[in-house]
Amino acid sequence: MLVLFTDTDTDITPKMAEEYGYRLISMPYSIDGKSTYPYVDFEEFDAHAFYDTLRAGALPNTSAISEEAYRQYFEPHLEAGNDILYVHFSRAMTATFDAMDRAVAALLEKYPNVHFYEVDTKGITIGSLNIVLEIGQMYKDGKSAEEILEWAKDEVDRFAVYFFADDLRFFKHSGRVSGLAGTMGTLLGVRPIIHMNSEGKMVSVGKEKGRAKAVARLVDTVAELGDGLKDHRVIVAHTDSPEIVGELADRLKERFGDDLDMICVDVNPTAGSHCGPNTVGVSFHAKHR
Amino acid sequence: MYNVIVDGEMFVNMISLGAATLEEHRTEINDLNVFPIPDGDTGDNMCMTMEAGIASVTGKNTLSIGEAASLISDGMLLGARGNSGVILSRIFAGIAKGLKEHDKADVKALANAFRIGSDEAYLAVPVPVDGTILSVYRDATEYALSRVSENTTLAEYMNDLLTELRSSLSRTPDLLEVLKEAGVVDSGGAGFVYISEGMKKAIDGEVASPSAPAARREAGPDLSAFTEDSVLEFGYCTEFLLRLQTSKVDIDSFDVKELVSLLEGVGGESIVAFREGSIVKVHVHTPHPGDVLDLCQRFGEFLTLKIENMSLQHNEKIEKEKAAPKKARSKYAIVAVAAGEGIKNTFSELGCDRVIDGGRLMNPSAEDFVRAFDEVNADTVFVFPNNSNVFLTATQAAKLYEGCRAVILPTKSVGEGYAAVSMIDLSGDDPDAIAAELDEVIAGVKTGTVSQASKDVTRDGVKIVAGDYIGFSGGVVLTDEKTREDAAAALCDGMGAGDFDIMLLITGETVTEEDGESLRASLASKYKNTEVITIAGGQPIYDLIIVLE
Repeated sequence: MLVLFTDTDTDITPKMAEEYGYRLISMPYSIDGKSTYPYVDFEEFDAHAFYDTLRAGALPNTSAISEEAYRQYFEPHLEAGNDILYVHFSRAMTATFDAMDRAVAALLEKYPNVHFYEVDTKGITIGSLNIVLEIGQMYKDGKSAEEILEWAKDEVDRFAVYFFADDLRFFKHSGRVSGLAGTMGTLLGVRPIIHMNSEGKMVSVGKEKGRAKAVARLVDTVAELGDGLKDHRVIVAHTDSPEIVGELADRLKERFGDDLDMICVDVNPTAGSHCGPNTVGVSFHAKHR
Repeated sequence: MYNVIVDGEMFVNMISLGAATLEEHRTEINDLNVFPIPDGDTGDNMCMTMEAGIASVTGKNTLSIGEAASLISDGMLLGARGNSGVILSRIFAGIAKGLKEHDKADVKALANAFRIGSDEAYLAVPVPVDGTILSVYRDATEYALSRVSENTTLAEYMNDLLTELRSSLSRTPDLLEVLKEAGVVDSGGAGFVYISEGMKKAIDGEVASPSAPAARREAGPDLSAFTEDSVLEFGYCTEFLLRLQTSKVDIDSFDVKELVSLLEGVGGESIVAFREGSIVKVHVHTPHPGDVLDLCQRFGEFLTLKIENMSLQHNEKIEKEKAAPKKARSKYAIVAVAAGEGIKNTFSELGCDRVIDGGRLMNPSAEDFVRAFDEVNADTVFVFPNNSNVFLTATQAAKLYEGCRAVILPTKSVGEGYAAVSMIDLSGDDPDAIAAELDEVIAGVKTGTVSQASKDVTRDGVKIVAGDYIGFSGGVVLTDEKTREDAAAALCDGMGAGDFDIMLLITGETVTEEDGESLRASLASKYKNTEVITIAGGQPIYDLIIVLE
């Protein structure tokens, strides 16, 4: 039997995870040295309260989980003779997968007859979520690990995510975006437009002045790169900025029709620690990233 | 045969007394301001420009009139501040052109040279406007020249010049509506009247006193700044005029740019070189002046020469400049002009490589730009003057500096500067395309200011009371209110703030953080779709600068 895993960095909620049969690995963040494990230390994510703490000045850190933590997640299933498929957030963004690799290598030595598969979504938050949900559906439809991996080979690169933020503080603290609007030390209304490239890294691809223009840029990007938009989900997400994401959703429906299969999610606090409040983005099926 | 009267010494005396007389009326010229706020700076700009010219002849005694005029002109070109300063420097560049070949000048030659100053000044301005120093100077020099005959004395010529200067100046309000409405005459033209009155004093026999600006500047170097144990730290500031010689070089094909790269090859820095006919003026900082001189002597001989150990130059600016190690050559750099600590910091944070302090009245000299160009060390430098009175100065500096291509963006306000600098995209290879991209950005910005009125006047149909807060946008007074807050609110209404995505509220040196925040909150709640961002700009004169984009 195949057991599905994903992690909380993909914006999946326990409810959605349960619907598709995913087990959830909790990726922690910490504020002032106090670590929080999403959906372990709380049941429901209060996005408004969390992002308000950031607005008030908190600057969270994120950290890798240990080899031992991975072992605890995976061992019971491997021991029971099941294979594991882990659909995870981007390897290029973290060192946590080094710990995982060590855990998995040790476990496979111990249980030589089982398999460990992984799909690197080369994304985080909704860029990953779109792929997580598609794979979840394939799993529900009874597809094998091999079939899923075959699909992922081409399709991972075809889920694009574009977003913008309005506070450089978090990106600078995180250091995970390259080419961020040149050498700017302040934004003052400028919105860097950022995407996840096919290496799974966050890259700034331009900038717009003001929210309205930034929203328009995202919609234009969907129009330009979108491919089979209505055969897949369009996911929009935000970090406690319902008005801006509402505006984005309205513009997308205006442009592409009310029949878009669109869902709106909160960006999980761990990923949100890197971009800060008032970040808004869209994930969609595209010609390329 | 005209009378031969003016030699180099007399010419310098004329200009020195001209500068001194202008200096006496500096404030009066500043106050000839079409705007009812204390931002007039024509007097300051003209005085500083004159002083820069005089400083370059101070201590030189046996100059021909051609050499003296040329040195004064060179000093003024570099020292020019503000539009009035740039125009003044070009007037003197034209005069120097006219006197170039002269050892001494007769009345006719002097009058001709003064006339050429007018042509040269008109060339400096992209869109010359009558009713300014340009037409005042032109009218007077044409009139005075037309009256020169063999019998005309220098005093008679100066009287004619002054008569028509005053008369043309009095006509400026008829030519420019803004002057008439403000009830003033053109400030630059008025400044030139005082300069000419000073020159007349020289002709009448007065000699520039030691308190004149020329003498005051030259306090003498502090020799104790370099002792037996000192180590050469800053090198030598080396300046000279080089006469190119046909026996050594093909003068027509001589390229100043090549000379600059040769000078760089021998370790020269902060190089400024430009030529006027067969004379090349060179300014270079070097630890080995001998190498520089050997090099240049291959092309000609020296007319004048000045070498100073820079440790002795107590000019703070130079020391500061030399203290910063030179950056590695880059493809692009951004230079902006700003006043107020907060605004300067903002421009730095937006990615400017060098922010020139415009000073209280936003009037950096051409030399300030030249230094900045040298310091940022890039192939192409994008320049954001951020004030309509700075554009010409930047353009002049770009002409004088050979070490880079300077692309000057037409930003006329701090708001336009912010909009453009924040959106510049340096990823392209074509500097012109990069600049062109910003045209639309600059065009999409609206800037308004709130300042305290300095006088009672009615302007644009608004009755202004001294001490009230007035809101300006696009050179038009939109409102006069008793409080800053009311003026800000009325100004925003008048500018249609609700139609814009972003409002930048830049608070001046007189606005406390609390006041700024309460203003931001009230504007943000009024304009729900506009993002209101506050910057503690700390700028003088403008209590508030409101930028809409």
